[in-house]
Amino acid sequence: MAEQWPSYVDAGQPNDPVFVGVGEIPSGRYPDRNFIGDLTKVAILALKDAGMAPKDVDTILLIPNLHGFADQADLVFSRMVEELGLNRHAKASLMIHSGGSTSDNAVRSAAGLITAGHAKTVLVLHCERWGSANLAEMVTALSKNGIPQEWEQVTGLQFNAVGGLITQRYMHDTGSTAEEMASVCVTLRKWARLNPNAMFKDKDLTVEQILASKMISDPLHALECPPLADGAVAFVMTSAENARKRGLTESVRIAGSGGCVSHYSIGQETNLSVLGWPLAAERAYAQSGWGPEDADLAQVYDSYAAVTTIAMEGLGLCPKGEGARWFAAGNGDPGGKLPVNTNGGLLSAGHTGVGGGTALLVEGVRQLLHRAEQPRQVEGCRRAIIGGTGGTYMDAQVLLLERVEG
Amino acid sequence: MANSPIIQGFRDGLAAGDLLLQKCNSCQQLNMYPRYACPHCQSDDLGWQKAAGTGTLMSVTVLRAGGPEGFEQEIPYALGIVKLDEGVQLLGRMAPDEDGEWASYACDQRVTFQPARDKTYANFGHAE
Ligand SMILES: [Zn+2]
Repeated sequence: MAEQWPSYVDAGQPNDPVFVGVGEIPSGRYPDRNFIGDLTKVAILALKDAGMAPKDVDTILLIPNLHGFADQADLVFSRMVEELGLNRHAKASLMIHSGGSTSDNAVRSAAGLITAGHAKTVLVLHCERWGSANLAEMVTALSKNGIPQEWEQVTGLQFNAVGGLITQRYMHDTGSTAEEMASVCVTLRKWARLNPNAMFKDKDLTVEQILASKMISDPLHALECPPLADGAVAFVMTSAENARKRGLTESVRIAGSGGCVSHYSIGQETNLSVLGWPLAAERAYAQSGWGPEDADLAQVYDSYAAVTTIAMEGLGLCPKGEGARWFAAGNGDPGGKLPVNTNGGLLSAGHTGVGGGTALLVEGVRQLLHRAEQPRQVEGCRRAIIGGTGGTYMDAQVLLLERVEG
Repeated sequence: MANSPIIQGFRDGLAAGDLLLQKCNSCQQLNMYPRYACPHCQSDDLGWQKAAGTGTLMSVTVLRAGGPEGFEQEIPYALGIVKLDEGVQLLGRMAPDEDGEWASYACDQRVTFQPARDKTYANFGHAE
């Protein structure tokens, strides 16, 4: 397998794509905020973080929202070019979409454009208004994502039930208890309490509270289901050469990337407690030349606890079948063996639709740039593993990131 | 959604009390869900084979809140992924126990197709 997946672009090559800045505003319920206003805000924050102005950007890459078509159309038809004053200056404004893993594919797309010389600096933007949207409408919309209309929508399947099916099989195969599953959510909440942008930054969470909450889709309790949130994030990628020319002394490069699309509908996944992670991880590690033991933190998609434990196991970050118990022992906590989802993840920072994974990625880049607030900053971290998925967990996407200095 | 022959064929089977699996007349492979061309050999010469109806429950969940539009009144109901003995799998509904709950179901149990003539999906219950 390894020879099929050659090394990523060598470190230090002029066109090696690097992350140079991130921007984010708080997630939660913010009915008074505005979609385009939020996008503009995070764009400017990310550019400032990169020491740049809008004119330094030649390509805008948009991550979709799921709250409505009208706002989507604004993005598809280049509204952000005008909002940022880039009329005639921008070469391209385009949208990438693969559900929850969009951020990983946006990174690959931006990286490809930069490496091939099609773009010099790419600004990636996302905003979601789920927290302020009509909940019933969002539930219905979400019940169509990755669920084939003729074969599975007719059964009444929806997203929490997909999470329930995966969790049920994971608990069966690993012997994980309800307490152990709930402990994953508790770890995420501990991180969220340290993140000023997290939806639940002010609220503690215990295993007892989770297990006492209403059953939503067995074995998932209400407090184990992701809270829909408003939120916006942005990041800037450019070439290593451009970063050097601009005097940027720290950046984040991609050491490897791997992916696996294992199915479309949950009814066709043949290994519900494994999914595509082992294959995606093998492909990514073959490119990077380093492995799970070298990571200083992990940012792994967490719409449900089992989604994360399955990914952590497939990525080799904890022993096979032991993911939930690994979290229950505090290994992923602040101060633990391997910090996981230091922003609080989707489950505690807020599920911002396609942007839940983008927020995880942005936090990983922020950590590697050593720009997270204390005491959340993982001291001296150099390598992060980003794991993305979404929908019916049809794909597993892995980005291996590392800090570059000088 | 306009009904295509593959959707109509599957539903006609259910209406007649049968669980039909798509079978490629060219390479003889079974395809689930039914496809517009055989994913194994790309032939569009596709027919049907009646399933024995028996299989293994790969996972099960009971949805108790947040039913999608049109399903609000049906809550709660149980959904299961069944791997049929023929080797293909599909998602369907699980029949409730006598008490109206689904506590008797667990992963890896043997289950069987239960004809329900007015449905567009497969129903399963415990195998005898
Ligand atoms: Zn065939």
